[in-house]
Amino acid sequence: MTEITDTSISAHEEVPPVGRRWGVIPFLGVAIPGRRSYRVWQRNRDVFFQLWKAELLPPVFEPVMMFLALGLGLGTYVELTGDDEYIQFLGPGVLAMFAMFAAVFEALWGAYFRLDQHGTYDAILATPARPEEIVAGEILWAASRGAINATLILLVMIVLTPFYDLVESPLAILALPVAFLTGVVFGSFGQAYVSIARSVSQLTYFFSLFILPMFWFSGGFFPLDGLPTWASTLAWFTPLYHGVELNRGFISGDLDSGHLGHFAWLVIVTPPAVWLALRTMRRRIIA
Amino acid sequence: MPPIVEARGLVKEFGEFRAVDELNFEIAEGEFFGMLGPNGAGKTSTIRMIGCVHPITAGTLRVDGLDVRVDDRKIKHRLGVVPQDDNLDEDLTVRRNLEVYARYYDISKADSRERIDEGLDLMQLSERADAQIHELSGGMKRRLVVARALVNEPRILILDEPTTGLDPQARHLVWRKLRLLRERGVTILLTTHYMDEAEHLCDRLIIMDHGKSLAVGAPRDLIERHVGASVLEMHVTPTQLEEARMYLIPALGESGRLEQIEDVLYAFGATAEHASVVEKIAGDPYRVLFRRANLEDVFLTLTGRVLVE
Repeated sequence: MTEITDTSISAHEEVPPVGRRWGVIPFLGVAIPGRRSYRVWQRNRDVFFQLWKAELLPPVFEPVMMFLALGLGLGTYVELTGDDEYIQFLGPGVLAMFAMFAAVFEALWGAYFRLDQHGTYDAILATPARPEEIVAGEILWAASRGAINATLILLVMIVLTPFYDLVESPLAILALPVAFLTGVVFGSFGQAYVSIARSVSQLTYFFSLFILPMFWFSGGFFPLDGLPTWASTLAWFTPLYHGVELNRGFISGDLDSGHLGHFAWLVIVTPPAVWLALRTMRRRIIA
Repeated sequence: MPPIVEARGLVKEFGEFRAVDELNFEIAEGEFFGMLGPNGAGKTSTIRMIGCVHPITAGTLRVDGLDVRVDDRKIKHRLGVVPQDDNLDEDLTVRRNLEVYARYYDISKADSRERIDEGLDLMQLSERADAQIHELSGGMKRRLVVARALVNEPRILILDEPTTGLDPQARHLVWRKLRLLRERGVTILLTTHYMDEAEHLCDRLIIMDHGKSLAVGAPRDLIERHVGASVLEMHVTPTQLEEARMYLIPALGESGRLEQIEDVLYAFGATAEHASVVEKIAGDPYRVLFRRANLEDVFLTLTGRVLVE
């Protein structure tokens, strides 16, 4: 058996005060997740591939329906200020929104069931994995689900491109890391919410009050400049808005310094979001 | 040899509630140690502290010489845990469940294959290796959870009420497997509220109630010390009960005790002679039971309550 020593404290040293036990860093109140986060991620991946037939098709159908209904149906009545068709405007938004949905479902319902119903976390906690590693693994997996679904949607968009000119630049491939990055943020917020949820039905609150408003008001369906200033300011604080704008730049190939700002926004928000998830879920898991 | 588990003044509080109250016990290496007590006695809280899942509130707890407050990972590497509820991955096959679990311990693929084959064989599950979890019976699931707990070759195997909900046959098979593991030198810590389970399996045990330790020792010693060799149990009418009591109090004298739980009268330390007199009082030998004392009687003597209600 390989013995792993990743705490700097050995048995014969003084016992650290309560706040510093089990690798917890005093200032942060959490331990830094190690490689067992990846083990947790692997576990989720294995289950996903076991069920891939059920998991893989809905993420393709849903955006296709949205392209049909909004892009082609509603879109014929919509006139944009530029030369673009509405379906072209819709593309980057659909990509970002459905990646968000995938990440949120995984971090919210998936994680809640694993925590509360199936005892998956209990099983993992009996191994050398720490609570922080379970949470980090879940966040990484939520982000991966976002990226997987974004890949599928991007493929659909590429298939439709000869007809509707949806993807205009090879940079569109960068929408996938964007989906992963926003997935980390959404996954973290989802996990933080799970830490206070006491029943499955409570998860709906997070979805209705946080995810759905973002879905509608993040510049995916219409440009935000039409909205009152307070609404567009509010939108600026949502991660989805920056994901949509980045996607818009990559898919059209029209990039400017603003996109750097959107990227910076996501990069800056990620660490505190992850910390919040680690801190709140740690408390929930170890009681 | 130092004890493999050592608890001194161990306390666990959840908010205002004290689940474990100043517990002291030791488990020797290679021992089959039991924790016997009703639901809410603090058994699960105790093993969760040993497993570094719940932090301790006060006292000290050492596992294999390591402090649970510090060396969570090292300790977890040396433990195998069988929880109360089967928490297998329902979406994965029997073998895949074990493979996924082995990864958390950084066991190489080749090693894990070998150990998993061995574990499945030991738990008589080799033929079900590719089955889905929902195809397994309750007893098979339990054995699979035990196989999973063995994948890291633990020095201590911890089982939380391993046979609750199993039918008698499945139960005996689990017992047999546990005895086999003990023979192989694994230290086993088992919680149960079944006195027969504790009595059959354990070298030594701790009897717990409301988070406190009531007694620690070998099953036979505990019975001898707290109850005596035999017990007389009477299921009779209130008048007969009174009559039996009048006879027994002087007859038992210092060497025995009487205890009434609802409508049953227990005479601890009674003799065959007492039994035959009481049978006459009852007028019906089936209403009087003269039997060997057991751990249930110990719990009854110490708490005035039966173990499983």
